[in-house]
Amino acid sequence: MTISPQERARIYIPILLISAIAWMMLLVNPGSIMTLAHCPVTDSGASAASFRMLLAMNPVSSLMAGWAVMLFAMMSPTLLAPIGHVVERSFKRRRARSVILFVIGYAVIWMAAGSVLLAAKLLLSLVAPQTYLPVVVVGLIAFVWQCSPIKQRCLNRGHNHRELAAFGIAADLDALRFGINHGAWCVGSCWALMLFPMLLSEGHFAAMAAVTFLMISERLEPPGPLSWRLSLRGKLMRIVVAQTRIRLHGLR
Amino acid sequence: MASFTRKSAWNNSGTFKNQDLLWYAKGVGKMQSRALNDQKSWWFFAAIHGQEISLSQFPGWGHLPSPPQVPTTPLPTLTVRRLYWDQCQHQSWYFPPWHRGYLIALEAQIRAAVVSLGGPKTWALPYWNYFGPANQYEIPPAFTKTKLPDGTPNPLFVKARYGPKSDGNIYVEIPPASEKNMNNTVYTGSNVVTKFPGFGGPKTGFSHGGGTNGNLESNPHNLVHVDVGGNGPNNTYGLMSDPGLAGLDPIFYLHHCNIDRMWAAWNAKGNPNPTEQNWLKGPAAVGGRKFAMPMPDGSSWIYTPADVKSLSQLNYTYESLTVAAQVIQPADKMAQRLVKLGAAPAAATAAAAAGGTMDAGDNAELVGANEGPVQLKGSGARATVKLDTKVKKKVTSSLAAASTASLPDRTYLQLENVRGNIDANKLDVSVNQQHVGTVALFGLRRASLKDAAHGGEGLTFVMDITDIIDNLFVDNALDANSLDVRIVPSNPVADEAKITIGRVSVYRQGQ
Repeated sequence: MTISPQERARIYIPILLISAIAWMMLLVNPGSIMTLAHCPVTDSGASAASFRMLLAMNPVSSLMAGWAVMLFAMMSPTLLAPIGHVVERSFKRRRARSVILFVIGYAVIWMAAGSVLLAAKLLLSLVAPQTYLPVVVVGLIAFVWQCSPIKQRCLNRGHNHRELAAFGIAADLDALRFGINHGAWCVGSCWALMLFPMLLSEGHFAAMAAVTFLMISERLEPPGPLSWRLSLRGKLMRIVVAQTRIRLHGLR
Repeated sequence: MASFTRKSAWNNSGTFKNQDLLWYAKGVGKMQSRALNDQKSWWFFAAIHGQEISLSQFPGWGHLPSPPQVPTTPLPTLTVRRLYWDQCQHQSWYFPPWHRGYLIALEAQIRAAVVSLGGPKTWALPYWNYFGPANQYEIPPAFTKTKLPDGTPNPLFVKARYGPKSDGNIYVEIPPASEKNMNNTVYTGSNVVTKFPGFGGPKTGFSHGGGTNGNLESNPHNLVHVDVGGNGPNNTYGLMSDPGLAGLDPIFYLHHCNIDRMWAAWNAKGNPNPTEQNWLKGPAAVGGRKFAMPMPDGSSWIYTPADVKSLSQLNYTYESLTVAAQVIQPADKMAQRLVKLGAAPAAATAAAAAGGTMDAGDNAELVGANEGPVQLKGSGARATVKLDTKVKKKVTSSLAAASTASLPDRTYLQLENVRGNIDANKLDVSVNQQHVGTVALFGLRRASLKDAAHGGEGLTFVMDITDIIDNLFVDNALDANSLDVRIVPSNPVADEAKITIGRVSVYRQGQ
């Protein structure tokens, strides 16, 4: 059974608004939360002193805040399908609560993953400061990961929208558990794609936008068998082109 | 005058005296003589519907009982496989048009083979109308003979065809199979005579299985599949029981020819197909795969639902578009319901005429659910669906207000995330000891695979329980806080089948 388009919009519009606000923040970059500050000491190579200096210039709280903004900007649009599932399978008065629990579960996993990815970013900035080597290496890893059966497995599991309890604490736990599971498979699917733009010294906004487009697109693709496969995952582009044609044809 | 007329397989008693069947057998034989990677072969066409070639045990194609002897090599190129194979559309509003194109392409291949063997140029696929008179619910006898009249092996004979009682007696059980959905008036949606999600199926993108069946697909399509296929020895099952094997059985195409005939008959009653561009232009309109079929001249036919939405544009017709279903006018049905709920007959008629025929739209709300997953054992399963007090009150208020011009809620039972390993079964579902309906598990195994087209979500069955809830309301028995749901399989459930129902729920749908 499906809910009305109006009710669906009531859930989806706030999610997309959150994403839009987060994108604005990324663009404005308040307090330089999206960029790593450097000085000659931190650029002098890996050492305990340079690491301490890097952390002093880039407090963990600031890094995690930047990561959270990035997460909400990039991932919110990919959550419309699982959140739609939570809404349809919940009592009307519990829908908002279940969605929030789902998002909490999902965000907890991604924040944990974010701490690892940020640590990797800091480390790479010390080991190979002011070079494109980390970007190239991570870009290659991301490419291989994209083609791998492990990536496909993660995408497939992201499509598995599980049954949810309806009443009481069981419903709360199921929504939370669904968010955690979905978040875990999402991390498995997207960690390399998320790391790549973080390492760019320039153009990372455009890179994040491109990666977001790719991530939305690959979620729209149906699940499939596990195999090595070079796929452009261009479904979102195909939808845009097909729907534009339909509308232009309708205008004639 | 159409060039091709599809006629009843039961003409001339369904034997090889029916020339359509005799030439079909010869055409199938010719296609079966070709290699798997030949786009004109029987095996290639079966794989277009769905295939299990790579599995190392049953239901892998290399592990099926013969006849037919099914090849698993040589494989076509990956590009060809991605264009053509594993296309069948199920649990989708594309179910009727995709299968219509599939039949036309297969028919063209058979006709080319028939003509090359000296047969008629106007040969057309016969249909098996299991709702026909006398014993037409039985498979036409031509499919049960091991030899053709000339003494050569009969290509229409299939060993893995076991029937509803799994005893080799092949027929369709009527009921539960019925023509009742011919009374639907909405292709996608619902109204007083059309159960959600509608006659043709729910709006989807490219849908190679999984989700919620359309009404025509649910009954009779799915029921006929599992009746004909049935269960075999050692946890095997008939080819027709599983979408990944079904296209190997020649009876498959006569069954689908009848389903296509029912769609044509439904249109002939004045019921319209969708007019949305996303249906007319097919799944490519929403970024999905195109429908593609290899044709006898070596070309690839790319088609959309708009290309096949009427038979006349395809130069086809059926010998008969008659269906025996009783005609129910939506307004009459709604008026009856309103009177039952306490409305004055005149008010009921007016209210029904005002809104009884309209699509109710998507506006479902959860009313109650059971506690958690239910495993289906040999004798069945039982679930207590607890109703939420506040939402139930909305339902009762709606039913009570039916005495005014306001249309009452409809209520649905939903079996969610049904998963398992064996499709060859039917489930009889009842609520508070009142029979709700029977659903077939066709497509269950593939919809339950985590690394296949539906990601392991399984199937979801939606059953209309409006009458039952209305009766409880009228009898002042809707005060109960729960409903007793019983699910009984038609055949014993083997442990290996591992059939689970994720959740049993009740939804209301405002009008």
